[in-house]
Amino acid sequence: MSNEYDRSGEPVVQRFTREFLGEPNRYQIASAGVALLALLTVPFWAGQYLYVFALASIWAIFAMGWDIISGHTNYISFGHSALSGGAAYTTGVLVHNVNPDMAMYITFPLSILAAIVIGLLFAVPTLRLEGPYFSLITLLGVLVLTQLVYIYGEYTGGELGITAVSTLTYNLTNLYYYTLIPMLLIGAVLVVVSQSNIGRILRAIGENEAAIESSGIDTTRFKLWAFLMSAITMGIGGAMLAHFYGNITPSTVLVVDRSLEMVAIAVIGGMGTIAGPIGGAFVFIILRDEVLTVFGSTGRWLALWLIVLFFLVFLRDGIFPFIWSRIGSIGGGRDE
Amino acid sequence: MSSDTVFRIDELRKEFGGLVAVDDLSFDLQDDEILGLIGPNGSGKSTVFNCIMGIYDVTGGSVQFRDTDITKLDTHDIVNRGIARVSQESNPIPSSTVGENIDLFTYPNDIFSLTGGASQAEILDIARRFDLDEKLDTLPGSLPHADVRRLEIAKALATEPEMLLLDEPFAGMNQAEIRELSDQIRDIHAEGRPIIIVDHNMKGLMSIVDRVVVINSGQKIAEGSPEEIANDETVQKAYLAGAEVTN
Repeated sequence: MSNEYDRSGEPVVQRFTREFLGEPNRYQIASAGVALLALLTVPFWAGQYLYVFALASIWAIFAMGWDIISGHTNYISFGHSALSGGAAYTTGVLVHNVNPDMAMYITFPLSILAAIVIGLLFAVPTLRLEGPYFSLITLLGVLVLTQLVYIYGEYTGGELGITAVSTLTYNLTNLYYYTLIPMLLIGAVLVVVSQSNIGRILRAIGENEAAIESSGIDTTRFKLWAFLMSAITMGIGGAMLAHFYGNITPSTVLVVDRSLEMVAIAVIGGMGTIAGPIGGAFVFIILRDEVLTVFGSTGRWLALWLIVLFFLVFLRDGIFPFIWSRIGSIGGGRDE
Repeated sequence: MSSDTVFRIDELRKEFGGLVAVDDLSFDLQDDEILGLIGPNGSGKSTVFNCIMGIYDVTGGSVQFRDTDITKLDTHDIVNRGIARVSQESNPIPSSTVGENIDLFTYPNDIFSLTGGASQAEILDIARRFDLDEKLDTLPGSLPHADVRRLEIAKALATEPEMLLLDEPFAGMNQAEIRELSDQIRDIHAEGRPIIIVDHNMKGLMSIVDRVVVINSGQKIAEGSPEEIANDETVQKAYLAGAEVTN
């Protein structure tokens, strides 16, 4: 018999790699290696674009944070910038109002905690409900939080924001690695989670939640866990973004547009895959901040959203799953 | 051989607004028994199963399994206590293969467990019982109807239940498939699992059930051996002069 279930003699290590990495062919392994190498060597081949690559790394963290809950379970959040923005503002408000020299080892954990608290505020009441409630409440959440920032302008700097946050470094090469390395570490953790039982259960929840409940899985607990992982990721990214810009304004870290960009990145990269949204972030941010600027400051947004629309219509599974399966079919694919 | 009561529903009541779907229904199940729960369409049979599995909150009464009150438990808790249900609708994960669908039903209910669940060999064993072993890599969407139904039973067995609820298992099957499935149900029962089968039609059930409970409008109208039920006048009236019972 030739199906993949007749593997009684398979060595443990081989089973383990297959469980978590699938069975990529040599071309897939090579392409993933080349992509990783390309990211690690950006200063040598795209030195003038280091800033935008660093920014894209942070957006990759956001897109992964969105993907582990929304891309997997299909509980679509339209307000994830409330989590990252909440974390960025926590860093900013602490530095601005409490102590300008407050160390990162204090502000960073508190910012992540803020993202978790904001996340649980949304998640606990809504993740039990099916249908559009989750999406609507996340959307309202970010709108409310944005208004709160304006109302408490005395502490938050209002529309102009807070400028007192220390930047990570002025050396662009260092800045790039300060964002790339955490992104890759988060990516590694989330790829393992996504490929494990947990990821399979989360994706199954997205396809048929009632069926999974009848397998003895507490779906609510898994959704909360996914949301918690998401909030931690958003918190890390949010605090990093605060130090990346050195200032925090509603329009750069919080407004609902930023949430929609996270959704768009995950969608064009490939929802539910973690690695796809990483690639999506680089495509999206480089298009937004470099390529499409030829259309002018308003035209680039129009062009950007039209491109996203194009992907939604013609390549709904995203760029990277498409490329991955194309490479996978070289030489007859896995069933050769 | 003496038998014990393994499962009991007591004065179970379910109202939807003003409609009484299950009307103070009581019955029990012995640990060596296959019980048929029959009734015309709309008589409340599936609602009873939904109440047992915690999909609906009950309005009144209780559900007992092995001397524990499971009335208010969530579906996953009930499954983990040993009751599995094969529902009337087929519910596979469409993007996962037959093997992955079975595998999913063996995963531990643990948010920190990255691996676990059945081994490939165990999945192969379960699949073999239902002639799905050659189709483990197939997507459910391209299976014939009878195989999709078999997959549902395979998934339920993958949760290692102590007791099984089957909701219209023979629906849409031809005579040969019904005979084969009846044999498989007898085998599952012979391994020590009591079973409740819901059907609106007694024909398929007659040969495999030990006892029948008949409900109409959510109330029990008769209970007895299959022969007694087939000749019961109240039952025949409920079924429009027996057309469905005897044909």
